[in-house]
Amino acid sequence: MTDVVQHVVDALSVGSTYALLALGLTLVFSVMRLINFAYGMMLVWAGYAAIVLLDAGVPFLLMVPLCVAFATVLSMVIGRLAFRPFIGAPAITLLITSFAVLLVIQYVAIVVFGERPRILRLPSVFADVVEIAGIRVPVLELITIGTAAVMVAIFYAILNRTAFGAQIRAAAEQPDVTRLMGVKPDRVLMVVFAISGAIAGVVGLLWFAKVGAITPRSDLDPTISAFIALVLGGLGSTRGALIGGLALGALEVGMAATLPDGALGYQPAIVFAAVIAILILRPGGLGGSVAEPAR
Amino acid sequence: MIRLALRRDHVPGVRGFAGAVAGPLLAVGIVTALAAVVYADETMTEVVLLFGINAIMVVGFQVFVGNTGLVSFGHVAFMAIGAYAAGIASIPLIDKELFLPDLPGFLADVELGVVPALLVGGTAAALLALVTGVALMRLNGAAASIATLGLLVITVNVLSQASSITKGPRSLFGVPDHANFFWVFTWLAVAVLISATFKWSRAGLRARANRDDSIAAESAGIPSLAARLLPFVLSAFLTGIGGGLYAMLLTAFSPASFAIPLVVIVLTMAIVGGINSITGALAGAAVVTVVNELLRRVENGVDVFGLHLKTATGMSAAVLGIALILMLRWRPEGLLSAFELQLETRADRSQQAAQSPVVEEAG
Repeated sequence: MTDVVQHVVDALSVGSTYALLALGLTLVFSVMRLINFAYGMMLVWAGYAAIVLLDAGVPFLLMVPLCVAFATVLSMVIGRLAFRPFIGAPAITLLITSFAVLLVIQYVAIVVFGERPRILRLPSVFADVVEIAGIRVPVLELITIGTAAVMVAIFYAILNRTAFGAQIRAAAEQPDVTRLMGVKPDRVLMVVFAISGAIAGVVGLLWFAKVGAITPRSDLDPTISAFIALVLGGLGSTRGALIGGLALGALEVGMAATLPDGALGYQPAIVFAAVIAILILRPGGLGGSVAEPAR
Repeated sequence: MIRLALRRDHVPGVRGFAGAVAGPLLAVGIVTALAAVVYADETMTEVVLLFGINAIMVVGFQVFVGNTGLVSFGHVAFMAIGAYAAGIASIPLIDKELFLPDLPGFLADVELGVVPALLVGGTAAALLALVTGVALMRLNGAAASIATLGLLVITVNVLSQASSITKGPRSLFGVPDHANFFWVFTWLAVAVLISATFKWSRAGLRARANRDDSIAAESAGIPSLAARLLPFVLSAFLTGIGGGLYAMLLTAFSPASFAIPLVVIVLTMAIVGGINSITGALAGAAVVTVVNELLRRVENGVDVFGLHLKTATGMSAAVLGIALILMLRWRPEGLLSAFELQLETRADRSQQAAQSPVVEEAG
């Protein structure tokens, strides 16, 4: 029984980072049909920012907001320079553009930080394990789940309770009408990139706190996981992003717990095969979707 | 009198079809002649062979992306399968016992020549495409792209786990180096011939009809799945052959050889040349190879006016990235758009003026 609870906590912790990543991606997608290949690189840059700040002697509690702010600004700059000119272009063009953006910011990271892995040293609290009712839970997992819950709450508050949120939702559903109502598409886009960047900053810290080391090519794992979560949940829906992320976390942890030793090496293949199978049964994703209706 | 033309469609009739197939073949001839000149320089042999193999890969990629409008990130998976299948089929028996003692019986006893080995590679890739395509080709747009990325992840994962056949994540040695100028450029010509024939065939037209308006195409009796599956399988076959040649060029490779950087190169070549054109695929491969080679020299350090300039590795990828963005911004349809090099006679042209074209390619 404790085993099962343990796995559920693991799945929640992994799944909630995936869900956050998928939220960050889906928000931008809903406004400009961009699937951002460079998103994982935002996490990497947030991780590097953390290393640089900690090395410079910045206290941990100050480093966190600075990193998130950095990722937010970076996301807005990239959004303005690289993606804004492509508003209205076909989804494929946007996808390839983001691929190109990835190459460029990855190269900058290689030039600045080198190819060798850099270690992210966090306060020792993060490596601790607490025991709750006989279940041993790593502190980092608790922090991850807690942070994700808070982030999702903030995200929903912004989207559903503020004027910005209303504008974003309007721009996603009826871009032309929204413009006629006097909402500047540029501003909506910048807000969207800012939110997406802030999420990347937070997830970047959580992700690399868990992994420990960062290289300029560490972006692939988070990007691919986020993509799977996104497609699994259904492109363009926030509910789908949450469902997709948590489902992917559950799938991964469940596989790791139940697969026989011989098959463990094939885990990524099995997870992906499962995702493709789900997509065939429900082309609109688990959460249903506005963007690509099932046909 | 026969002359050259750049057209999106082809002149109606058998002669027009022949001209439309001959045009890209002529482009292969031009490219091969240029490559032969460069090949004479001994330091450039590997670059030229790699160019030819990349061109095969881009032509194969174009068959799918150009005719269906779906972008695949998974073609490197077909390349990997082609490389492993052709590689394992052609490793000499003596080496096989040494390097791959655990190989299952039927694989352990074969040692094929260049052509059969490459056909095995292409067929293996085509089979993978057929099996996965039944599922993947139901998806549309971005979901299809991501699912093909999944295909790449699955393939690389399986290749690095199936140690008894592939030596797992370690390098596979002993593939004979059959990838010489003759075979590479002969296969390039074959690839272009197949892809041009497909493009102007009924099946090619159905695929493009589905690409341009899938609902209208379905209502005209063209099922989406079938229209997309054929180009997917054909494209995988050509890419698998390219992968087999790649294996014979490298002679030693591992699953890690088939990763994102290869996706970048093939994608960039296809976009730069024009994703809707076979001639464009060749042009894109040539342009990107030249740029890449220049950048590689800068990466290794060049002397300009007595100054030694050197940059961090990976710059070529970054420059390709910027080039891609500028290209997509200012000329998203690529250098050649949907235009193909074609041969036509003067009579064709005047006949053309009198009647509207039958086969038309939307730009």
